[in-house]
Amino acid sequence: MLEFTREYFPLYLRGAVIGLGITVATMLGSVALGLVTALGRVSGNRVAQALGSAYVALFRGIPPLVLLYVIYFGVPSWASSLGIRVVADFLAPLNNRIIATVIALAINSGAYSTEIIRASIGSIPVEQMEAARSLGMSSWLAMRRIIIPQSARVAFAPLGNEFITVLKGTSLASVIGVTELMRDAQLAAASTFQNLMAYTLAGVFYVAMVIVLQYFVSLIERRFAVAHK
Amino acid sequence: MGERLSPGPGREGTSNAHVLFSALDRESAVRGTVDSPVLRLVDVEKRFGTTTALSRVSLAINRGQTVAIIGPSGSGKTTLLRCINFLVPYDSGRIYVNGRLIGYREHQGRLLHDREHNVNEIRKRIGMVFQRFNLFPHRTVLGNLLEGPLYVLRIPREEALLRARAALELVGLTDKVNAYPDQLSGGQQQRVAIARALCMKPEVMLFDEVTSALDPELVDEVLSVMRRLAQEGMTMVVVTHEMTFARDAADRVAFMDGGAVVADQPAGEFFERPSTPRIGAFLRRLSAR
Repeated sequence: MLEFTREYFPLYLRGAVIGLGITVATMLGSVALGLVTALGRVSGNRVAQALGSAYVALFRGIPPLVLLYVIYFGVPSWASSLGIRVVADFLAPLNNRIIATVIALAINSGAYSTEIIRASIGSIPVEQMEAARSLGMSSWLAMRRIIIPQSARVAFAPLGNEFITVLKGTSLASVIGVTELMRDAQLAAASTFQNLMAYTLAGVFYVAMVIVLQYFVSLIERRFAVAHK
Repeated sequence: MGERLSPGPGREGTSNAHVLFSALDRESAVRGTVDSPVLRLVDVEKRFGTTTALSRVSLAINRGQTVAIIGPSGSGKTTLLRCINFLVPYDSGRIYVNGRLIGYREHQGRLLHDREHNVNEIRKRIGMVFQRFNLFPHRTVLGNLLEGPLYVLRIPREEALLRARAALELVGLTDKVNAYPDQLSGGQQQRVAIARALCMKPEVMLFDEVTSALDPELVDEVLSVMRRLAQEGMTMVVVTHEMTFARDAADRVAFMDGGAVVADQPAGEFFERPSTPRIGAFLRRLSAR
């Protein structure tokens, strides 16, 4: 057992780092997407509201694995069969496994981020908006300077949970051959036939990463709380 | 944020209030001006569903005047204030701030909703202080004071800092520059809220029951700041239940009942000779407490 761990530890560690990298990139996209969609949903614009709701309804419903297949296998082949050069070139990056993974996971996770950010904006008392408006701020300026900074504190902890969900979700990328932690475990299992050992070690890696992440999230959360007291 | 207020041109102990008030304000306060009103309401009406919140309210307030608005709860006092800076859109009538119609533009005698930008332009000139302070909790006292001048008025930082310092001196809170709102008492928070409005150099200030949420022993510190403002020549509309303040700090008292202004008199006259039995009863009930 020790021998297996010693032999495969570097490989697993590399896989973990790749998974973590994918998670960071995914969350950047997810939060950006979530912020735009949440702002659309709280705006007075009917079209923006409808688009936001549709996005959430659609992508919260599609399993991430299905979305990953559509984006990695479906979209590029459709683009090349279309025969339009510009479209094919534009969608060519989806042939890259990691880029396809990040986009699929970000679109999926963005639906959850939207709901988190929308709820956090909704948790800020309306009087804050009124105070900002009474200073002559436009609704956008009030959002940017007053509402969003306050809701960021509220959203931080649930977005931290979302980060952990995405991290575990990166294991799905193994099915399209991204050599992250899960894929490395499959390779180790295949070459040693020690299935239990290979996958248990992967599990231990995930648990360790999640515990460390959770620690940092609560650390930063406490800092937030202190800063205003 | 560790920002410090640099010592200003005024020496220790001298007032920097001139940064916030023009000489004109003080002069007009002394004269008790008769020139064109800063605020003019003409037949303003507001309904919420089937209830009438404001019915044909007309009011004119000259530069440097302080008008106290009193009346039983639900009489429309707060709604009136919120219509003045268009936080609540009124249904009909006209509200002019410095001669400019707020919230609407007139087109062939009809009122059309004005662009948000134009409403904001007028709001910059109206300071509002709320019952529940509504300071920005994520910003320090200084941050609260700089927010409007820097991001709405877009004046240079040095000038905004000068204003912030003058405003904090006026409300007596220079030692709290770097405190966060929830480190302050209610009275201190309300004084910061007044300072925040002052930093915009408003033409008129609206006070919405600003002492109602305070512990009794904190009321005076806020009222004395408001008295000082009245002396400096600020034009003020003060919705209040503080009869002593209305009597000796206000020039006029408007009494509201059922959404209408039923009396609008010089303060002394209002309290000495109540013009209707209803007002007499209201005043007696308050003084009985």
